[in-house]
This record gives sequence, C-alpha cells and structure tokens, in this order.
Amino acid sequence: MTLTIKELSVSFDENHIIQDLNLELASKEIVVILGPSGCGKTTLLRSISGLQEHGSGSITLNNKRIESLPSEHRSIGMLFQRPVLFPFKDVLGNILFAYKNKKHSDMDAVHSIMSEMGLIGKEQQRIETLSGGEAQRVVLARALLTNPELLLLDEPLSALDVELRRKIALEIRTILKSRSIPAIHVTHDPTEAEIIGDRIIRWNELQHGGDDEE
Amino acid sequence: MKKTLGRYVPVFLYLSMILIPLLFALERLMFVTGMNPFQAIFHLDEHPLGTDAIVFTFVQAILSAILTLCIGLPIAWWLGRFKWKRIGMIRAALTLPFVTPTVVAAMGFLALIKEGGLLDSIGIDLRNETGFIGEFSSMIGIEHSGHIIALLLAHAWFNLALVIRFVEPKISTLPPRYEDAFRMLPAGHNRFNRIVSFWWPMLKTSILSAFVFTFIFSFTSFALVRWLAPNMWTLEALMAVEGGAAGIPGYRVDVSRLVLGGATLQGIVLLSALGLAGRWQQKQSNEIELVAEGYSRNYVGKPGTGARIGIVAATVFALTPLVLMVLSSIRLRDRTSDSYRWSFEAWDLAFKGDLTYASVPEALTNSLVYAIGCLILSCLLGFFVAQRIHSLEQQNRPKMAQFIDVLSMLPLALSGVMVGLGVLLGILKIWPVMFSWYALPILPHAMLTTPFVVRILLPAMREIDSDYDDTGKILGYTSIQRFTRIKLPLLKPQLVVAAALSMAFSLGEFGASWILLRSGAWDTLPVLVDQLMSRPKYFEMVEPIAMATATVLMCMTFLLFVIAERFRSHQGGGF
Repeated sequence: MTLTIKELSVSFDENHIIQDLNLELASKEIVVILGPSGCGKTTLLRSISGLQEHGSGSITLNNKRIESLPSEHRSIGMLFQRPVLFPFKDVLGNILFAYKNKKHSDMDAVHSIMSEMGLIGKEQQRIETLSGGEAQRVVLARALLTNPELLLLDEPLSALDVELRRKIALEIRTILKSRSIPAIHVTHDPTEAEIIGDRIIRWNELQHGGDDEE
Repeated sequence: MKKTLGRYVPVFLYLSMILIPLLFALERLMFVTGMNPFQAIFHLDEHPLGTDAIVFTFVQAILSAILTLCIGLPIAWWLGRFKWKRIGMIRAALTLPFVTPTVVAAMGFLALIKEGGLLDSIGIDLRNETGFIGEFSSMIGIEHSGHIIALLLAHAWFNLALVIRFVEPKISTLPPRYEDAFRMLPAGHNRFNRIVSFWWPMLKTSILSAFVFTFIFSFTSFALVRWLAPNMWTLEALMAVEGGAAGIPGYRVDVSRLVLGGATLQGIVLLSALGLAGRWQQKQSNEIELVAEGYSRNYVGKPGTGARIGIVAATVFALTPLVLMVLSSIRLRDRTSDSYRWSFEAWDLAFKGDLTYASVPEALTNSLVYAIGCLILSCLLGFFVAQRIHSLEQQNRPKMAQFIDVLSMLPLALSGVMVGLGVLLGILKIWPVMFSWYALPILPHAMLTTPFVVRILLPAMREIDSDYDDTGKILGYTSIQRFTRIKLPLLKPQLVVAAALSMAFSLGEFGASWILLRSGAWDTLPVLVDQLMSRPKYFEMVEPIAMATATVLMCMTFLLFVIAERFRSHQGGGF
C-alpha cells in the first residue's frame, strides 16, 4: 500500500470533524472522495499533508510513518481549491518555485511539463492574466516537478465551468497515470469523480469505518 | 521554550528602546522635583510661562483643527466626488505639505509672509502686523494676532493632506446606489437633509479622525511655532527651549517641574486623542461595502466650474509656500538698496558652509546616515513586532496580541521633543559618554518611526492569504525559506512604503534632533536650517542660505515620498 491511514481523528475545539477514519491507497491508485461541502474532506487532506494538526491515529506513506513530520518533509504535493500562484512571479517563475534552489532547476523537465500542460509560450505571462484553467495547470505543473510520492487534490476544479472542469479532470488523470503518481481527489461532483478516479468513496462510508468501494 | 522566547526578542528590544530612556527620565525628574508626574501637572503654573503655554497650546490646536477641516472638507469632497484628469498628480500635490519637514514648512511660510513677501506685497502683513492686520489686532485686542493667523494657516496647510487622506477615499469608494436610494426618500429630497442625514453619518468617523489627528499634530507642533509665532509659547516649544536645564538637582527645579508636568499632560491628551481616533476607526472598518473609486467617480461625472476653481486654488495654496521658499533662495536682496537680484550665490555659500558648523553636504551626509540607521532599526524592529502580533492573532491569543499592539503604539503619544528630552535625560544623565556618540539621534528617530512601520506592515500581514504559506510548506520550503522567498516578496510594497516613510520622517525630524544636536558637530539639515535662521539677519545672505538648505531637505523628502506613493494603496483612508 502507498498510503495507510488508521483511526485518524481530528477535532476543532469540541467538534469532532473526523473520527476514527481508515483509508488505504494502492500504488499508482487515484482515489476520489465524494462528499458535500463542509463535511471534512479538506480537513482530511490537510491532515494527510501536515497542514492541519491531527488528534490521533497514524498515517503511513510508502512504509514510513509521517503523522509527526512537518509538511515540508512529507513528500506530498497538494492543489488547493483556489490556484495559489505567487503574484510577484510570472508563469515560469511560479513553476520554478518547485525548486528550493534555483541552481538545481531541471530546465528540461520544466520545458517538458510545460509542453504537456500546454503552457509553452506563456512563460513570461503575468499570473493575473491567466484563466482559471491555465492557473490550475501552472499549479499542477509546479506540484509535479517536486516529484511527490502522493498528490492531494482539494477540489481544484470547483471554480471552473462544467465543460472545462471535465476536460481538465481528464487531463489530470492522464498525467497522473503517465507518471504513476498516486492521488486522493476530493470533490462534490459525481461526474468529475468518475472521470478522474480509479475508485470512488463516499464520505459517509469513510467516516463510519467504511472504505468500501462504490 | 527557547524558540518561543526567541520570538519575543524583537518585542523586548523595541519596548526596551522605548521604555528604558523614558523610565530613567521619569525617575530623574521625579527625584529632582520630589513629586509624581500627576502632581507636577498642577505645578505647571509655577513656571512664568506655564499657564499661557497651556492655554495657547489647546486654543491654537483646536482652532487649527477647525480651520483645517473648513479648508480641507470641500477639497476632499470635490476630489472624491468627481472624475478628474490626472487625479494622481492633483492628489500628490495636495498631499505634499504633510510629508514636508516642519522646518521646510516653516521656511515656506516665512517666505510667504516675510517683509517684501507675497502676502506683504498685497497688503497682508502678518509678520510686522501693520496695515489692516494691525488694525484687526487692535480691534480684537489680541497681541501678535498676525503671527497667530500665520501659525493657524501653516497648520491648516500642513494638515490638509490628513483631511484629504481620511475623507476623500470614503467619498470616492461609496457605492453611488446608497445616495440614489436616499434621494428617493422624502428626507433625501433637499441638499441640506442629504448632508445631515446621509453624508454626515457616512463620513463622520473619517472627519472626526481627521480632526483628532490635526489636533494632535498642531498640539505638538514645534518648528512652526518657533518660526511663525516667535512670541507665543506652546508646551512643546517651551519644553524644548527650557528642557536643557531640566533634571539637574537643585538647579532650576521649576524647569524640571515644567518638563515633568508638561510631558505628562501632553501624554494624557495625546493618548486620549489617539484612543478616541482608534475607537472611531475601528467602528469605521467593515461598516459599509466599498466600490472601486473609478466606478463612483464615473457615476457622478466631471466637476463643475466651482469645483475646478476650488481644486486649482487648493493646489496653488499647497504649492505656493514651497515655490516661494525655492525662489527666496535665489532672489537676493541688495545690501545697499531695496532692490532684488537673482543669483545662486546663497546656494554656493550653503554648500561651502561658511556661516554654520556644517556645510550642506556635511549636514546632508549626517541626515542620510541617521535616516538609513533609522530605516534599518525601525524596519527590522517594526517588522518583527508586527510579525509577533500577527502570529499571536493567528494562534488565537488576541489579548496578548492587543497588549503588544497597544504598547508598540506608545511612541505615537509622544512628541519629538518629549522623546528627545527622554533620551537626553534618561540615557545621557546615566551614561554621559553617549553624548559624544555620533549615532545617538538614530535612537529617538527609530522610537518615533517604528509605530508607523508596525501600522503599515500589520494590516498587510493580516491580508496575506495563509494558502501562500501552506503552498510553501507543501513545496518543501523550510520556515526561513518561506520567509525569504514568499513572505518578504509579498510584503515588498508595504516594506518599501515603510522604509521610504521612515527615511523621510528621519530626514525631516526636528524636535528630538534639535534637543540632542543643537550644540553638537553632527548637525542634520533641519538643525542647520534652524541654526541659520537663528543668526542675526544683518548679513543679507543668511535667510537665502537657510532657504537653499531647506530646499535640499525638501527635495530629498519628496524623492522618498514619490517612491512611497508609487507603492501605496489609496483605498480605505488613513495613513
């Protein structure tokens, strides 16, 4: 298994957002968690990535316990609902943020991924001039260049119109499969879930000890 | 634990920088006078000029604030209401007086009111009070009313930008449908009702805040009082002039009482005023939705003739003293006759420095060294204090955050003279060797500017979306890397504004520098101007040299202002 989550619980003050959640993810697998807004999907992804302190339980990624590691040491990539691009950098500058040290930038890899994402010719473009779809492509390109062991997708397509959402969902699936990157995608759109996922899990099943395949 | 304590180091350093000199000064003054600060307030009348100074300080500050509103409100209204071509330039010209060092403002107004100056030539003699100004003085029975009028006008000129900064954005960003809706109601049918029942409630917090800040700046005005109303005393001017004799046991105890009581009274008044303005501003935030200023302006359209004349007159009013000051540095009076000639002779002498301890290049070097030192110290401390406050807010510890926030604002309740005296009496009486330390003025300058840095950076930090930091974490950046590669670049505009304003403030700072440097060899440009103007005027070049020096100071400050203005947001109102 790539990822194993056992009895994960997360609470805010007195509210139990996640209780005794179990989840397993096979290598190269794309799992989609389907649930309504506000049910705790984002909290789950933030707990896996380390952005959110978890209450109890264990998270194992590629046979390594990661629940006590800080985010920056977990080798996990994440796409947020809103594409987070740095306004003081152009498109290429944002993609190069994948490299902590610019001297170690692999420009061949950068060029290849930009080509794959249809971003060639937009290197010097200011980020505020990008469309929603283009912005998410830049964010995805940046995430993939970090060679993550797991990619978390927190409804990154929710702000796009239906047609574009489905088109990019398919693109994401193709890219992840071509690179054999396992991923957890959360959404409330069943069609998007079907396009992108190998396996779909409903949130309520997950919360009640489920992890049942739909 | 060590890491947590380490995060508080800048806060401790900053608070020590503020509190240690002031506490030492307080302790010394209490020892010399044998009374506590509040008792000293009731002994202010024992100084021969004490009572007059208190009365004049309050009266001129209130009158200045009223006059500033009378002039500033119509300008803010016209500016915010209509669609103007080159709005940026008009706004910059009208804001210019506020960033002008007070010494430069004093020189500008002197050039305007002096014998043979523009106002004198049209029969308004505010300096010697002849003609109808003299008659007016006799009629109202107030001595030196010409000087007082000049001072009030100068305060209105200086603080005009405050009214514009506070009120204009509120008018230009108010959704026009609010007014449209009110016009439809019976109460909104006539203009008077609209002013009383619609515009006043909408704008009152901004107007009252502008009033309070104008009052504060007029209350602690020193250079303008010193040069435009030389026969009148405000508490600030009296403490500055007499303060050198304070803190010496058994010698001029009345002066120590004056400084102790005067500083306490000023502190109470300024704290109360700031507290009041703070409450109003807090109420004002999130009260109403805003629209882009262009939308509101386009909705109302182009200005009418009255508004055009008003804005042209205001721009002329804002620029005239500065233009006249520059002209006075090259328009030289002939020694043997009443005629004038044009020459750069005064500039030549100013740069040689024959009449002063330091030449203009030397004073400029000192000013720049102090300004850069102030920039480094205040920006570093201000950044980390703001960062700590913001972190505490994020950790859901609002009380601790508020406590540090309030303490960091403490110097705003202190005037330049109070800080200068605090450093003089506090540190120098204990470590006199510091008196010969070249970098000493950096300390009071940084004390005075750091709160502004905190005020500029803290809202910007609050506005940064936490997703940026989260993205940095996900990309594998350490906290230091996230700080240098994400947070600093995101805060760059505000950091540039804070740095430019710190430098500009330090360059023009007069009160504290005058206390610490007036007898030193490291004169700054404002001190050099004051030194020149204090010389007997029988040598006709003295005043033009002072004007040339003030012009150099003005150019340096405006350069920094232009840099800050390029990065400053115009939304919301305030500094």
